[in-house]
Formats: sequence, C-alpha cells, structure tokens
Amino acid sequence: MKLFQFFAYLSTGMTYLLIFIGGLVRVSGAGMGCPDWPKCFDRWIPPTNVEQLPEYIDPSKFNIVLAWIEYSNRLFGALVGLTITLTMLIMFKYYSKETRIRNAICLAFILTLVEGWLGAILVKTVLNPFTITLHLFFALIILMLLIYASQEVYYLEKPTAEKNSKYPKKLGKTFLILSIALLFEVILGTEIRAGLEMIHKENPTLDSTFLLKMLGPFKYMHTITGILITFLAVYILYCVIKKSISPSSLMVQISSSILFLIIVQIISGEVLVFFEIVPIIQLFHLWIASWILGLVSIQYSLWNKSQNTSE
Amino acid sequence: MNKKVLFILSFIFFLGLGATWVINKANSSYDIPIIKSVPEFSFKNQHGKIFTEKELRNKITILDFIFTNCPGPCPMMTSNMSDLYKDYEQVPEVQFVSITVDPENDTQSILKEYATLNGVKDDRWNFLFSDLESIQILKRDGFMLFADELPLGHAIKFILIDNHGKIRKYFDGTDRASVSILRADIARLVKKIKT
Repeated sequence: MKLFQFFAYLSTGMTYLLIFIGGLVRVSGAGMGCPDWPKCFDRWIPPTNVEQLPEYIDPSKFNIVLAWIEYSNRLFGALVGLTITLTMLIMFKYYSKETRIRNAICLAFILTLVEGWLGAILVKTVLNPFTITLHLFFALIILMLLIYASQEVYYLEKPTAEKNSKYPKKLGKTFLILSIALLFEVILGTEIRAGLEMIHKENPTLDSTFLLKMLGPFKYMHTITGILITFLAVYILYCVIKKSISPSSLMVQISSSILFLIIVQIISGEVLVFFEIVPIIQLFHLWIASWILGLVSIQYSLWNKSQNTSE
Repeated sequence: MNKKVLFILSFIFFLGLGATWVINKANSSYDIPIIKSVPEFSFKNQHGKIFTEKELRNKITILDFIFTNCPGPCPMMTSNMSDLYKDYEQVPEVQFVSITVDPENDTQSILKEYATLNGVKDDRWNFLFSDLESIQILKRDGFMLFADELPLGHAIKFILIDNHGKIRKYFDGTDRASVSILRADIARLVKKIKT
C-alpha cells in the first residue's frame, strides 16, 4: 500500500533529521536549555524574557537561545513520535499479518516511547553521560527498524527485486559484525565526547587538542574499530562486485556509498583530532555515522531478499 | 538520479548552514554583559600590602564580602571560593579577592590566619581590609550591594570582574549550581584573554 510506504519513508527521514537536531542540541551545549520536562520553565511555550520565569527557578539558568534549541528538539521529537504512531496504525490496517513488518514497526513504536521517557530522565539527571549514549543508541535502533520495515514493504510491492542476484551466503554474518561494530563505534565516539566534556570541566582553560590526547585508550579503540569497519566495508564491496552473480545496481551503489562515507568519516575524524574540535564537523561526524548504519541495514535487507528468492 | 542527488546535497548543505547559524547563536548567547567599572579603592591585603583597583587589571577576579566570625553563609561561601581557588591552581590569570565587612575584628593578622586556614599558599587569593566607611562606600556605590548593617548585612554574592576591571555578573556564592555557572563563565573570559 502506497500510503504505508509513504509513512514508513517519512518516519525514517524524520528520524534522521531528529538525530541531526539531537546532535545539534549536544554540540551547542543546549541540553539543559529547559531545566524541566516536558514543559520549559514551567511553560508550554518557552519564555522569551526573564520576567516570564516562575519564581522558584533561578533566573541565571535562563538562556533564551538554548531554551529554544532544546525545545525545538522536543517539539520535533513529539512530531516524529506522532508520525511513527500513525505509521503503526496504518500498518495494522494493511499489513497486520506480515510479521516482520509488524514486529519492526511495533518495536520502533515502543522504543519511541522509551526515547521520550529517556528525554525526561536526561533533564532530571542533568545530562547523565550514560543516558545520553542510550538516548542515541535507541534512536539508531529505531532508525534501523524503520528502514528494515520500509524495505520489506518495498519487496511486497516488488516481489521480483533481487531475483537475479546471488550474493555469497557468508556475507550475512559480515553484515551483523559490521552493524555491531558501527553501533560500538558510535558509542565510543559519544564516550570520547563525554570524556572531553568531563576533563574540560575540570581543566577549563586547556585547549581541545591537548584534551583529546588525555583521552588515550578510548581514542585508540575508536581508531581500531574504525579500521575494522573500513576493512569489513571493503570486503563486502569486494564480495558484491567480484564474488556475486549479477549484483543489483542498488547493492553496488549502496556498498560503494558506504565506503565513500567511511572515507569522509576518517577525514572528518582526523580533522577533529589534529586541528580543533569544530562543533559542526563533530555534528556531521555523528550524523554520517547514522547514515552508514542505515545503508548497512538496506544492504543486509537486499542480501536477505536475494537469499530468499534466488534459489 | 542526478536531480535527486543534487536535491539531497543542497538539502544537506542548507542543513549544515542552518546548524552553523544555530551553533554560533548558542555560542554568542553565552556572552556576559558588562555591568559597570569597579571604582577606585585602596585597601590592604593580609600581608599588609596595598591592593587597589589596578590589581584587577589583566586578571579575571572573583570577589566577595565576608567576615571571619560570620556564623551564617560565609563558611559555605569561603568553601566554594576555596574550591575555585584550587581548581584554578594552574591558571595564573584567575585571582580571588575577599573583602572583610568587619574590619574592627578582622585585623591583618586574623585575615592572614584565616587565609592559611583555608589553604591559601600563594598571592592568587587576597583578603582585604580597610576602615568600615570605605568598605561601605565600595560595597554600596561600587558594587551596588546592601551595606547598611555591616557586618551582619553582608551579601552572599560572588562578583565576576573581567581583565579591564569591569563587573560582569553576580552569582549566589552559597549555591553550588550558581557556582558551576560561574566556573563556565570564568573559563570563557580566560579563553578570551588568551586569544
């Protein structure tokens, strides 16, 4: 059904945008822009000047720019939640018998609720680093589930997709390892960021390049996992081009795009290490990681489809 | 296909532009307003050395008004100030000034003892005294704080002063949340001096 496909794609696109906005909140330091939840300074529309603050809130906590950055994230989050809910309702109408689609969408919906709850916990714990990581982790899982469901619906509409392609069977495990490595890499990245912030709090006047050196092990693990990811992506591309029978152009395009994005990630990562920590590069570094994860999900789903149809 | 790619690339480009604008806006929102200049004064510190407003130049100063016999909020203020003093050990650009509002009791030797008791071991934290009237004038007219019933009516504020001797912001010296905001503001001003 076209309507469901539209909503599944819309939810995916909006979740991507939400991850970007969430990252923006983080790099602009607006996480505590609203000290309460779900309201902002006890108002449904954040205050525009100090006089609108309730008496029990310390006025020095108020920063109108940060409040609106954080509140935009919440509003957009609510909109994404609503879209995913609608997607689920439409799914129940048309695809309730398709277990894969149903499970993926229902799980995405449940995790969306968890995300809202985690948002509240974040504010209550004044941005506990573990919760921040968990918040991002679930967002990535939601993304993968939505992409998976979208792909499955696409195949229902087009059952002959990947019919002529035959990819090596063993690639299945490689996709799994790559996804886990990517998720682990993102978590390491957020730990580096949290570590930087913590050291920065204690040594407010040190510059960021020096701070990065103090992080030692995390940074090396980030690099080592990065090398593993690059290796796996090259291996998959090699298998798709050289070891497969008539691979689909979509599979080739996605496999090459992943490698291209990994190169972009290596360059942007090195810029962050060797020059200064530029917030916008940091933001795109995280966001592109989520693209790679999404592309790997599509890659897996294409492979899976070919395994099921190309007998 | 090319049109699609072009659309996606320009969307990402504008998203990046928008994000840069938001980040810059957020960074400049931290700018701390200039309230007023600290007027001239000439007090003495715990070593008997003259300390004037000129000593505030080229440094970031955190200043408060206390008295050593104070039973109320002073110990908490001094403990918070002492934490800051330790945190900025490696940063010579940051100094601390505590002015007594009870000069009758807080003589030079008592202030010196009080400093030692609070772990002061260098000249980054000065304890100042003068005659009560000069202190009252500085507090009321210079720092716009209540100064009628000293020593008891002293303020619990930490005052952030920049390297040009300008008052930038007032903080609640007894509140740890407020002090943590002060910490961030100090870092911002120090960064500005260094660049």
